Amino acid sequence: MKWVDAVIQGLLLGGLYAQYAIGMSLMFGVMRIVNIAHGDLVVLLALIGISLAAAFGLGPGFIMVILIPVGALIGWGLQRGILNHLVGNDPLPSLIATFGLSLALQNLMLTIWQADTRSLDAGPLAIQSVSLAGIQVGVLPLGILAVAALLTWGMHVVLKTTRFGRALRASAADRDAATLSGIDTKVVYAKATAVAVAILGIAAVFQAARTTVSPADGGAQLIYAFEAVIIGGMGSIWGAFAGGLILGVAQVVGSRIDPGWGILIGHLVFLLVLAWRPQGIMSRR
Amino acid sequence: MTSRDILVHRHTRSSRIAISVALLLVLSIPTMPFWAPSGQIRMIVELSCLIAIAQMWNLLAGYGGMVSVGQQAFIGAGGYSLFALSAYGGMNPFLAVPLAVILPTLLAAPSYLLLRKLDGPYFAIGTWVLAEVFRLVTGNLSVVNAGSGMTLRAMGQFTAHQREIGLTILCALLLLVTVGGTFLMLRSRLGLALTAMRDDPVSAASQGVNVGRMRFGIFVVAAMGTGLAGAIYYMAQLRISPGSGFDPYWSSICIFIVMVGGIGQLEGPIVGALLYFFATRLFGHYGASYMIVLGLLTLIIALFSPVGLWGLFSRFRDWPWFPVGHKLQYPR
Repeated sequence: MKWVDAVIQGLLLGGLYAQYAIGMSLMFGVMRIVNIAHGDLVVLLALIGISLAAAFGLGPGFIMVILIPVGALIGWGLQRGILNHLVGNDPLPSLIATFGLSLALQNLMLTIWQADTRSLDAGPLAIQSVSLAGIQVGVLPLGILAVAALLTWGMHVVLKTTRFGRALRASAADRDAATLSGIDTKVVYAKATAVAVAILGIAAVFQAARTTVSPADGGAQLIYAFEAVIIGGMGSIWGAFAGGLILGVAQVVGSRIDPGWGILIGHLVFLLVLAWRPQGIMSRR
Repeated sequence: MTSRDILVHRHTRSSRIAISVALLLVLSIPTMPFWAPSGQIRMIVELSCLIAIAQMWNLLAGYGGMVSVGQQAFIGAGGYSLFALSAYGGMNPFLAVPLAVILPTLLAAPSYLLLRKLDGPYFAIGTWVLAEVFRLVTGNLSVVNAGSGMTLRAMGQFTAHQREIGLTILCALLLLVTVGGTFLMLRSRLGLALTAMRDDPVSAASQGVNVGRMRFGIFVVAAMGTGLAGAIYYMAQLRISPGSGFDPYWSSICIFIVMVGGIGQLEGPIVGALLYFFATRLFGHYGASYMIVLGLLTLIIALFSPVGLWGLFSRFRDWPWFPVGHKLQYPR
């Protein structure tokens, strides 16, 4: 029972990682860009949310409604102001630029919010739980997992059925051909990054409500999102979701074996997948 | 005018002056314990390690096209090797330094074979994961004192003066091996292949350069140089812990120095390291605000001047320090 519980808790934790991973998978799939400041943006949005909640006494739901457009705006600005100048075959410029941005953001947050860990008060939701076949499951983590699945499904539908999704897939497949067909790829890219960071706005609220955030946490979140994407398979939205869950299970099971080993087991599972199935577990290849 | 009249040079006046000055400076480092205060010696040790680590990152990213944000993996591995060899092998720490590159080399080879499956930018984050794995494993290994780290007790048998002599000799050798070695390598046949790879990997491959094998070689060589610098740096510190040896901040330093100095040029990391070193001395006390400026500067360089300061300077004055190409001179 102890291990069943560990796996379930791991799946729930994985829901959070899946939320980080969607945006990364989207941005890499469309632009072949990895935003190193991905995790720092989660932290930034979470800290903004926490400060808003403290200043105006808003609940987590309101905060989320505010953070989604804020995230979209940040994403749009990031793409228009920085990344659109760097999209290309060479990964170096965009990596270096977002690395610099990450360093600057982390230290900016450190000056504004200090190094304290903070969290968002989710009210009674934070402690409510339901019993599933004898295992106590928190309502909030369950909600996080459900939202992650919903977001992944929504992204899948958007990519498959909407005009915007078609433009995204076309730009991903062949930038020049997409431009010839009348798609303004720069606008498409800006929208993709806006969506990616808007989803981080949702993830930020859940992260802050479920655990804590501090300005230096961004690096770890970037790594978890990345591992989820690679475990699941690059370019597959459902793969990123599955990868997040696997990573969560690996970490929780690992930390039940030895508290010092949780995150390490997560990394090792990632390396194993890389060694045995580098195309990812969900890839058809 | 026939082709016979055209003279082919490598060196220019600037390069002869620069190489002579550089050699004189490097050779004067081991004499420092006899005339310089310890504070200055500590600074030179740190600066030498920065130049070496940055030059290795330049080789990796600038020539090999592999951006790594996990070079701290090899800095920590080199440092820990030295401490373990001294504590458990009972070796003289100064003699153990060359052996400290073995572990980084052994770790780098399988690391590359794993990470090469990752595409461009994902490779970079993969290196970071590896560095985290090394940090977490070290933090859980009781042989190396787990999270509390190790102290280089064996240094107690030497006087402060002896330590300074040993460290300065090692630093001079480090610079000769990393900067001098890269210079000589770039002038060889191998260097031609590397430069071709830097400019365009696909066309280099079409000219018969085995890009995969070259990248493997560069990754391992860069790990060795980085490990060597790590061993010397932590020898001077006398202490190492998983948090310091495998600190991701090392990667920030590499990236800042090489990007601001000028990537894909031998002079770049030296210019960048000097800039970083003196800027940190002058503004380091501003803490987080200083780091914000470093981050924004890296961002601005990536956006507007990917060639860095040395690249900008080269546009106005063609005064190379370490010429790796050839110059044609028409007879007057």
